[in-house]
Amino acid sequence: MNFLNHLEERLIAFLMGAATLLIFVAVLHRYAAGMAIPGVQDALLKIDLSWAQELCIYMFVWMAKFGAAYGVRTGIHVGVDVMINRLPGATRKAYVLFGLLAGATFTAIVGTLGATFTWDIAHTSSTSPDLEIPKWIVYLCIPLGSYLMCFRFLQVAWQFARTGELPHHDVAHVEGIEAPAAINPYNLPDNLHPADASGAGRK
Amino acid sequence: MSTLVAPVPANAPRWPALIPPLLIAIPVVLKLTGIPLANAWIIFALLFGLMLTGMPISISLGLTVLTYLFTMTTVPIESVALKLFTGIERFEIMAIPFFILAGNFLTHGGVARRMIAFASSMVGHWHGGLALAGVMACALFAAVSGSSPATVVAIGSIILPAMIKQGFPARFGAGVITTSGALGILIPPSIVMVMYAVATNTSVGALFIAGIIPGLILATLLGLTTWWRARKFNYPRQPVATWRERVATFRKAIWGLFLIVVVIGGIYSGIFTPTEAAAMSAVYAFFVAVFVYKDMTLKQVPKVLLDSANMAAMLLYIITNAVMFSYLMTSEQIPQELAAWMLDKGLGAVAFLLFVNVVLLLAGNVMEPSSIVLIMAPIMFPVAMKLGIDPVHFGIMMVVNMEVGMCHPPVGLNLYVASGIARMGITELTIAVWPWLLTMLVFLIMVTYMPIMSLWLPKMLGMM
Repeated sequence: MNFLNHLEERLIAFLMGAATLLIFVAVLHRYAAGMAIPGVQDALLKIDLSWAQELCIYMFVWMAKFGAAYGVRTGIHVGVDVMINRLPGATRKAYVLFGLLAGATFTAIVGTLGATFTWDIAHTSSTSPDLEIPKWIVYLCIPLGSYLMCFRFLQVAWQFARTGELPHHDVAHVEGIEAPAAINPYNLPDNLHPADASGAGRK
Repeated sequence: MSTLVAPVPANAPRWPALIPPLLIAIPVVLKLTGIPLANAWIIFALLFGLMLTGMPISISLGLTVLTYLFTMTTVPIESVALKLFTGIERFEIMAIPFFILAGNFLTHGGVARRMIAFASSMVGHWHGGLALAGVMACALFAAVSGSSPATVVAIGSIILPAMIKQGFPARFGAGVITTSGALGILIPPSIVMVMYAVATNTSVGALFIAGIIPGLILATLLGLTTWWRARKFNYPRQPVATWRERVATFRKAIWGLFLIVVVIGGIYSGIFTPTEAAAMSAVYAFFVAVFVYKDMTLKQVPKVLLDSANMAAMLLYIITNAVMFSYLMTSEQIPQELAAWMLDKGLGAVAFLLFVNVVLLLAGNVMEPSSIVLIMAPIMFPVAMKLGIDPVHFGIMMVVNMEVGMCHPPVGLNLYVASGIARMGITELTIAVWPWLLTMLVFLIMVTYMPIMSLWLPKMLGMM
């Protein structure tokens, strides 16, 4: 499990950094190749980076699919929780569980559709326009990412059913700022804001 | 802490709990029993029902489409699924992860301190002193970091204690920071603008340029409100800074601010496409954070990459599902029907814009800006086009609306982040923000009915 978590984190952080560098280098190359520096220019013109945009898109698509799965674990996928936060504990718990299981259902359906789609494409000779890699490799992220996301939803639902805890994403965290007070935004004593299902802080 | 709504007794039966299942079940049952019902109502009832259960917005969008397709149409599911797989394969969309990365590199307490030092050396000696500097620092920091709540925390945590020490009432400071923190999504680079551009095929560059003047005007208006109230109550001022100090603080702040120049200048001069400009700004932000400001060590970079990827993936996931949703809307002809209905009733552009503003303000209370833009823009944009409203003007109006929504009670995101750092209840903060909130609402009306404010600069620069 730990191995899977690390793999997921490393993969998306790597894709993010690599895509940035790729576009940076491609832009530099475009302008450097336009400058009339003897010797250097010819060498630069020989390097073809026209595939950079396409690769960047595919990297980000992979990042999006696996990042979405990671996001379930970090609780970043936000919903409209104004209403359910005003419901009594048991009803609210039922709604949260329904939401998580609906997420699992949806991602399972998408994963299956994606698997069929990828399988069909793998039986054609379809390749990407610039990189000319088989399209099924590109689309492999859909079944893989979606099933992983489905697994994460089930994991969070299981944890929630047992302990009543949900992962929280802290929108207000800034590096280099000491927390001014020990205020837990998920423990505000009102019924307007997201709170732990345990009802801690509620009066 | 006080609350806005009185808590209901724990065991009282509550009918609101039944709303989502009813909203989901009624259209499905009606449709299956053969009672005719307009498709638009079915889709929206499903969407609202699913959303109110609190599930992620992306999932409720996706499930609405799937439920509708499985139970009510004969449209082959594969054609819609294809949208789900290929919907985000556009280079323009990739500006979003890059801008998030750039913002995250510079969302740091050190950058906030530099912005505050520069702002207070420039405007600190006027009425309102530190508070006025707070407005300016928020505008600068928000433009660079791109996140409203992060701006409220970064600037607020530093400037609020200092203001209270100088003798400002806590409410005044909290009001200033809560509202000024929202400036970020209007001043380019702005992720919400990229979202709008993606949803409506409008030029990102034109939107960015169009946001500059309204952004400056709103910052000025918020500053004026602060100045006026500070003069009225005679709040403390700072000693006048020397020009030497001003230059020194400017030289420290300029590295961060230059990010805006890289983006706007790069796009306007045609050196970069918007997505390339975003990537360049990310590399630039990395360079400044690690080598110039040294707020961050190379060891912390993977963490920033991971956090940015997390945020970007969440937004891209909403986009994926919103693309599928808007494809469904279009194939069911819903925007066209809405436009025909509005024209039929003789409702002109003025009434339509009012209607849009009210809907967006309501939505702004329960959803975050990117989701609202992605869901609402595809529905409202075709109507706006029929009524002859300029796409760029319409976009700027939506963005200003999102800003107001961030500070609007009862649940604007900025309000509750600020309530944490100012240690103030939501009710008290609601009273604290009203002078600035009122200013923002007046500004919203100005932006809505004076297209020249947003369109003058891009037209003059020949961008549209």
